[in-house]
Amino acid sequence: MWVDAAAMERAIQAASAPHGPGIYEVEFHFPVGSKVMIDAAIRILSLANQLAFTTRRVRLIFDEGEAGTMGYLNRMGFFDHLAREVEVMPARPAQSGAAIYRGSNAGLVEIARINKDHRDHQLPGRLADAIGRGCAARADIEELKGAAWTIFAELIDNVFSHSQTPLDGLAALQMYPRGDRLMVAVSDSGLGIMETLRPALLASSPYLAALSDLDLLVEIFRQGISRHGADRGDGLKGSAAKAMKFQADLDVRLPSQRVRLVPARGTYAPNTAYCSDGLPLLWGTHIAFTFRLHA
Amino acid sequence: MKPVNGSGCLIVLRDHMEDGQGWGREQGRLVFQRLLEQVEAVPACVVFQISMRGVERADISFTSETLVELARRFRRVKGFCLVDLTDRDVKENCDAAATRKEQPLTVWTRGKAEVLGAQPSQGTREALEFALQRPRTRAAEFVAERPGLSIANASMKFKQLWEQGFLLREESTADTGGTEYVYSRIA
Repeated sequence: MWVDAAAMERAIQAASAPHGPGIYEVEFHFPVGSKVMIDAAIRILSLANQLAFTTRRVRLIFDEGEAGTMGYLNRMGFFDHLAREVEVMPARPAQSGAAIYRGSNAGLVEIARINKDHRDHQLPGRLADAIGRGCAARADIEELKGAAWTIFAELIDNVFSHSQTPLDGLAALQMYPRGDRLMVAVSDSGLGIMETLRPALLASSPYLAALSDLDLLVEIFRQGISRHGADRGDGLKGSAAKAMKFQADLDVRLPSQRVRLVPARGTYAPNTAYCSDGLPLLWGTHIAFTFRLHA
Repeated sequence: MKPVNGSGCLIVLRDHMEDGQGWGREQGRLVFQRLLEQVEAVPACVVFQISMRGVERADISFTSETLVELARRFRRVKGFCLVDLTDRDVKENCDAAATRKEQPLTVWTRGKAEVLGAQPSQGTREALEFALQRPRTRAAEFVAERPGLSIANASMKFKQLWEQGFLLREESTADTGGTEYVYSRIA
């Protein structure tokens, strides 16, 4: 059973809101046969760290142990970035698979932390190079590689400017050849875009301020809107424009909303089947791009 | 920094970067300060060619904080144009950043000009094309090739192009003894 971001959301919604008042203990249960995809892995990791940061007792239970999805998560470096206070059952892996095999698989980029005080200057390049290798069958590969670099550079820089908590942002990439897709996830646990944008819009743009969170989110990627005024916001807009040229889907999770943007008539339009409001709180902004391996 | 044709100077952007990849606003602001020092070190220099040689990648935020910010800061006073810009993505990102800040940026490739970012209005487009084809232009010269256009109208077009950052200008004495402006392309 594949667990992508949508499946993860369903699981969290079915349980009590983990950040809610009166919740002191949270368990994440990975039954036999569950295969966690990279977008879900990054969000689960962010959420577990957030809950540990707020002094909740957090436990991850892997029924299959290292033979199952836990082994994959270890290979991706999940446990290297998991808060030490988080309990892992049956036990934390003795060795990090990412530390041993880092960079040896062309189909993935292990989870990297994004911290403005410890900038990994080469991270956008590593992610773009992995896309180059993964999508080598596409005729537009060189163009895609260049565009992908810009997308990651802008997204990672955006994490720096929203990182108002001590928790690191995270990025990772995984290729899924059988599903003909490649997924890149970039997350931060800072203030969500809306929290920083809305107060500024109240004064500068009443029209935009009146939009719902979901509509406003779409406009952030379409028009480029920034709390810093009219001559900023070009980064996210430009990234989205480049991603759209390559028909990439965009999944964005905010503290209590999720929107899936799909290319439609030269712009991004929300796929309403995957848009939801009033979701359980998850700090930060979590973005996942999905590219086709073959154009 | 090396002097180039006439009153121009050459800045090699890569010399002011840590490596060939420029991304993010913070790095951009750091590089901007270095560029600013270079510009202020030669107050007599009016036009700066910025060579993009060696810049492998540059994102929108970086180009916004460096190239576009520099051109915008000195608009009407000094001109900045790009040379050696061959990478399609870098060019596209410069264009997106300059468009956002409503700043034109001229790129020169083998003697041909291309304007990135802000574009001239329909009414001034022809005047800009005329000006880009020659080092210096007077409104009277443009009128001479456009029968029916008044000097006042032509002057207004060039003034707009100067105000918006497409051209530079300097005061000169007209044959009649009055003041006239000489407009120059940013090259």
